[in-house]
Amino acid sequence: MSFDLAKYLSLFVAEAAEHLAAFSKGLVELEKAVRAGSGETQPIVDGLFRRAHSLKGMAASMQLEGISALAHKAEDLVDALRKGASGLDAEAVDVLLAAGDALHDMVAAASRGEHPDAPPVLLARLDETSRGRKDVRPDPSSDPAVAPAPPPHAVEAPSLGLAARRIQVEVEVAGSCPVPAVRGFLVVKKLSALGALVRSTPSVEDLKAGRIPGKRLELAIDTAETLQAVERALAQISDIASVSLRVAGGEQPPEKAPAAAAPAAGATDAPRTVRVRTEILDYFLDAVGELLLATARLREVGKTLPASHRPHLDEGVDRLHGIVKDLHDKVMTVRMTPLSVVTERLPRAARDVARKVGKQVDVAIEGAEIEIDRAILEELGDPLVHILRNAVDHGIETPQARLLAGKPSTGRVSVRARRDRDRVILEIADDGKGMDPARLRAAAVARGVLRPDAAAALGDREALQLACLPGVSTAESVTDVSGRGVGLDVVKKTVDTLGGTLEIDSVPGAGTRFTFRLPLTVAVQQVLLVRVGEEVLGLPIAKVHGAAQVELSRLDRSRGAPVLPVGAELVPVHDLSRLLGFPEPTSRGERAVVVAEGADGWIGLAVDALLGQQEAVLKPLGPPLEGLPGLSAVTVLGNGRPVFILDVPRLLAA
Amino acid sequence: MPKKVLIVDDAIFMRNMIKDIFSGSGFEVVGEAANGLEAVEKYKELRPDLTTMDIVMPFKSGIEATREIIKHDAKAVIVMCSALGQESLVMEAIEAGASDFIVKPFKSEDVLSVVRKVLGDA
Repeated sequence: MSFDLAKYLSLFVAEAAEHLAAFSKGLVELEKAVRAGSGETQPIVDGLFRRAHSLKGMAASMQLEGISALAHKAEDLVDALRKGASGLDAEAVDVLLAAGDALHDMVAAASRGEHPDAPPVLLARLDETSRGRKDVRPDPSSDPAVAPAPPPHAVEAPSLGLAARRIQVEVEVAGSCPVPAVRGFLVVKKLSALGALVRSTPSVEDLKAGRIPGKRLELAIDTAETLQAVERALAQISDIASVSLRVAGGEQPPEKAPAAAAPAAGATDAPRTVRVRTEILDYFLDAVGELLLATARLREVGKTLPASHRPHLDEGVDRLHGIVKDLHDKVMTVRMTPLSVVTERLPRAARDVARKVGKQVDVAIEGAEIEIDRAILEELGDPLVHILRNAVDHGIETPQARLLAGKPSTGRVSVRARRDRDRVILEIADDGKGMDPARLRAAAVARGVLRPDAAAALGDREALQLACLPGVSTAESVTDVSGRGVGLDVVKKTVDTLGGTLEIDSVPGAGTRFTFRLPLTVAVQQVLLVRVGEEVLGLPIAKVHGAAQVELSRLDRSRGAPVLPVGAELVPVHDLSRLLGFPEPTSRGERAVVVAEGADGWIGLAVDALLGQQEAVLKPLGPPLEGLPGLSAVTVLGNGRPVFILDVPRLLAA
Repeated sequence: MPKKVLIVDDAIFMRNMIKDIFSGSGFEVVGEAANGLEAVEKYKELRPDLTTMDIVMPFKSGIEATREIIKHDAKAVIVMCSALGQESLVMEAIEAGASDFIVKPFKSEDVLSVVRKVLGDA
């Protein structure tokens, strides 16, 4: 690829990815609509066509002929489907999904500087499927919308040379024109002769239907022609009130508008945006975290100064802290990404599993616009997909079984997200056969994870958590989709690492619900500082229920450990010092007991003193410290002292 | 040097009306055709600078004639004359290669302005 084109590569990759994501999503929606017999398939198919077409044009501009050729074949198949709804079946969708996946891989290869060829087997398969679905029509110009000037067999009419770039055009049709949509259509046709039409608003379909809201047309073409050439072409069209041209991302030529026309700043994308690599965001966040720590340190140093100097320093440090906090908040905002980035994979994943195991599933997603820290989001993708696959594979019954049970033959998985103060609550619920606590208990005992009496002592809800233990799986048959039991324990571990919790609820016969509670951000968290002997340790506030001053010797005992009444429960109390392997505590009498989340249920941790709550920038531990059970992160106090953050469940397990 | 015009319409009065619009305004009407078949023949014979084309005609429609003329001469300038309510046909004609269109009833200055623009003389 020449140097010039390389400049556009990252933008091509990003836009191609968007088109491919929309293509994939559209295919799943299409299948759903066909199954539901809703008949609303035309707009979806048109959308698919536009996506394939855009991708074809973009790839051609970038001289990525392999991608362009595959996109073209996909476009042909979608076109064939546009004309006859009888061709819309699972097989056609499968082929198109395969094409989308292959295109995705090829775009990834292109981003690495490669020049990938389209897989010939897939091209042949697309051809064959298209042939089988085409209506026999004498009309040679099968693509009316964006056919460039004849001959009709050309893939792209003008050969887009190295200097091809995107020009955005806005046109206002004169008020006196009796058929503005036709005028708009003519504009589109004329400009299509100069380059590849990337998009138009209103769409060509809308124009053909006579719709042109506000008599305005906005479109973008990829062309090697000069702006002047485009202007000249537009000058030959009558009944145009105003024209505005812009090279996308480039200079703005003087507006040629005889009548008053207000051009939109960014033709089709409303807010002005910038693409930034995520590594840069991570760096910003790190740097800001360091700034926060450095500011706290400064404050500590200030405390050692003589009183006369203090007010000035304090004022300065306060201001500094305010600015840094502000900066931190802004950086965090930038890192906030909508959940939809992860949830939009889910319908497709569900569809693939459903097809493999012969079930029917609908996925409903709600609240995906909620924003969450990118770092958390990145970790969430795989766990969510795994739980979804589990739901489809093990939860949802076969259509026949469902009908027998009085349920609709199509199972339903709902993914709902909502915010609750500083947490995001994500629920994945299915209406399948539910999880059986008895079978989980039996599986845990059989696997040697629990003794029979311990298993029997577990309540039904707690027993469900057994599904998160490694190796426990009650699937009747282990399909290659899921069911080897390796998944849920990894999910639980991921959730724990993110500082969140996972709850499972189930009603046998009715369904199962997984509830994730996650913090909105990762890097800065509230911690409770406690003193144990000489050490200061931290506990994430998220995992702390409360604290109490207790005279340990006065507590009732159960199975050797003192128990503290907390609400309706009796919570066993452990000495944190002993758990950590520290020397025996010297203080007797009243101790502070922190009630925190343990491995299964609350536990009490007796400490020497509560030192208060504080905002901490958590840093990951490196080797060898990360190998120590029970330590999850480290932070540095204002006085420069490093404080380890505890992971209580793991500490108890060690 | 006046531009040569070919007028295609199945109604004589329409052809006369259009002829009057073009005469003496820097255009020379060099031929007339009453249907799509004649239109294609006359075009090949006369090679006009501009053709005005009615849409609905016997034997061969204006759309078909446009398509054939464009196949024969990609640079042919053809302006469709349509009635209101024929928008989809006009768009079909545009797809077939028509350069522009005018809607009946037309005013002579509108016709001339469209034609001049499309010929690049605006």
